[in-house]
Amino acid sequence: MSVTGLLARSFFVHRVGSRSVFTSSKRDTNSPNWLRVGLAFGSSVFLWSLLFKQHSDDVLEYKLRNNIN
Amino acid sequence: MGWIPDEGKGLPPPGVVNRNSFWLGGMGWCAAIMNGNVLSGVHRQVLLTTIGWFLGYHLTKYENYVHAKLDREMNEYMKLHPDDFAPKEKKTFAEIVEPFIPVR
Repeated sequence: MSVTGLLARSFFVHRVGSRSVFTSSKRDTNSPNWLRVGLAFGSSVFLWSLLFKQHSDDVLEYKLRNNIN
Repeated sequence: MGWIPDEGKGLPPPGVVNRNSFWLGGMGWCAAIMNGNVLSGVHRQVLLTTIGWFLGYHLTKYENYVHAKLDREMNEYMKLHPDDFAPKEKKTFAEIVEPFIPVR
């Protein structure tokens, strides 16, 4: 049951020709999609700032609740 | 915080660098590398590492809360049932060990 054998059989089953609209190409690394790059870096900066803010809020909350300093 | 109730906020928060963050950030980085090249997808690596690190921080916070809750319940149980947790008398080795009689 090779692949070409299966494909040859499918030729007889699907008499009505059907074509797929999907195309695929290799990723082009020489011309980057700057919008996507900018969004990726921007959202990374946003997430890091969110993380540090959350951490400092947590530390402040901990100190307030346990009456430290 | 959505899933940690109010009492959990009195716990010491994990540091920004913690084990879960490191692991999930590393997973994100490996996922980004495996999805593309090492050099040409730096923005993807940074983004996925950041997402992993962020999720790891919150996961560590939740883990600390769950462990603290379990410890508190265990200590309360131990206080209510002190008889079950009486300290055993400690014997030194000299009292247990039988005299040595070599058999030849």
